[in-house]
Amino acid sequence: MGDIVVLVKPALNPDMLRSKPDGTVDIVGIPLKFDDIDANAIEAAKELKKNLGGKIIAVLLLPWGPTAKRSKDLRMVTQEALARGADEAIVIADDTLLPGDQVITANVIAETIKKHVPNASLILVAEASIDQTTGQIGGRIAAKLGYPYISYARSIKAEGDKIVVERDVEDRIEIMEARLPAVVSVTQEINEPRPPTLLQIRRAGKKPQHKLSASDLGITVERKKEPLEYRILTVSRKQIIIEGDTLEEIAEKLIEALEKEGVLSI
Amino acid sequence: MVSSLVVGGTLGEILESLTAASLVGEPIVLAYGQAAAKAEEIASRGVKVFRLNGEHPDLIFKAAKKLFEELKPKVIIGHSTKNNRDALSRLAGLYDLAMATDVVKIEPGDDHIIYERGFLSERAIAREKASYPAIVLINQKVFEPYSAQGQGEIVDIDVGTPDVQIVEIKKKQLSGINLEEAEIIVGVGRGFKKKEDLKLAFELAELLGAQVGASRPIAADYKWLPEDAWIGISGKRVAPKLYIAIGISGAPQHMAGVNNSKIIVAINKDKSAPIFKQADYGVVADLYQFVPVLIKKLKERKEK
Repeated sequence: MGDIVVLVKPALNPDMLRSKPDGTVDIVGIPLKFDDIDANAIEAAKELKKNLGGKIIAVLLLPWGPTAKRSKDLRMVTQEALARGADEAIVIADDTLLPGDQVITANVIAETIKKHVPNASLILVAEASIDQTTGQIGGRIAAKLGYPYISYARSIKAEGDKIVVERDVEDRIEIMEARLPAVVSVTQEINEPRPPTLLQIRRAGKKPQHKLSASDLGITVERKKEPLEYRILTVSRKQIIIEGDTLEEIAEKLIEALEKEGVLSI
Repeated sequence: MVSSLVVGGTLGEILESLTAASLVGEPIVLAYGQAAAKAEEIASRGVKVFRLNGEHPDLIFKAAKKLFEELKPKVIIGHSTKNNRDALSRLAGLYDLAMATDVVKIEPGDDHIIYERGFLSERAIAREKASYPAIVLINQKVFEPYSAQGQGEIVDIDVGTPDVQIVEIKKKQLSGINLEEAEIIVGVGRGFKKKEDLKLAFELAELLGAQVGASRPIAADYKWLPEDAWIGISGKRVAPKLYIAIGISGAPQHMAGVNNSKIIVAINKDKSAPIFKQADYGVVADLYQFVPVLIKKLKERKEK
């Protein structure tokens, strides 16, 4: 079989939220990180590679600009993808594609796969990203490539040119069977990703990386949406640490505080 | 002229989505799964209903595609369920449509729709403008159920067979608790060392008239609680007046599910746990020591 493609997103780190004085989000000030569930997707690819063979190719598209300022974060995320188990990385960073949105991302990634990994057997994507959480890239790419799509995978097993997937829906698990090539979105429950070892981190630097631009891919995309405003939610918490000499005292103070807030009905 | 297409798998989803869709213009409905059995009730709101048997995402995609191509609605609206995200993201990909999920507000215009949605694990709100045609998936309980009266037509829609076969369906073991309605929730996390220890949380919950919810590891990985107790981005989003997080570190995926709580209390022995920055009241203590004391004090108060 062919190669396994894993989509990796350099995502805004919600734990490093920055705001401007007017209460809007300072997007440029927030660092990018290797997106959480992408680690599960790479871990799943490593397991499947044992059966399917081929290479694991990480495809990264920079969604937040400007490219000049993001190069260090992007390099770090790429290194992490390679250290976690990708054999090669394809990295697309281009100011004309910024800010990224789902229409642009899907077009760029589908085109990258068609041109650079035409033999892909399986395309794995996280069920959702930590910054946007829209969970729509997998479905978009499947439709563009004309491949079957299975979402919310809790397990994936490869059997010959077929995969059997446990799809996790709200109240049930659907066991689905598809022929390859296919696109599958994975949940965080699919596995426990192992952190990369020092040796893996050192080897990552030697793995091939291919850089692409929009013109390399021959892509011009019409924008279908524009951001108007990103504002910080103003629910700010009191962050009061209740202290006391004994646990009894702390418990009493906590109960009093909650009664004063009117949230206890005891 | 039809201007919006509502897609949904339950009666409740469809009625709330109809209210949102009617802001755009005349709606029609694609009802699948449980909602297909309620087609008559939906039609009694004066809307035309296309009824699809089953809820295979391949078939929902094909049916939505057929209706989109024939009727050219400006907006496709539904709840942000897994089946809707799956099926409609494919339609979005096929026609390069803008698609928004977890939307909490819409302002339809003549040639565009403005919407607001959670961003950065619900710590911010994104306000965006999408050109028609667009797909807008809303959060539950943002809109009231649609209450218009009338007599709509019901049409069965047949789109052939799915590409991917479902070979088996396993029902999940669920507790049936309704965390979305709870006024007080006690949340349990990895600070609990074993399943039996959760009885501490249940004892506290009983005393407070609260429900017990859990972070991802407890419900999804260890399966100490049923999955409908799971709170977070992939689980439930709750809005109680009081959320007491015990042994929960405060990962963004979990906090996104509880940020709408009125008051958040955190009990954790690690004083550097991120949850203390996202809580109103924090207690830095070993839950095994503190929770029994809290229970004792609450009991004393109750007896007074």
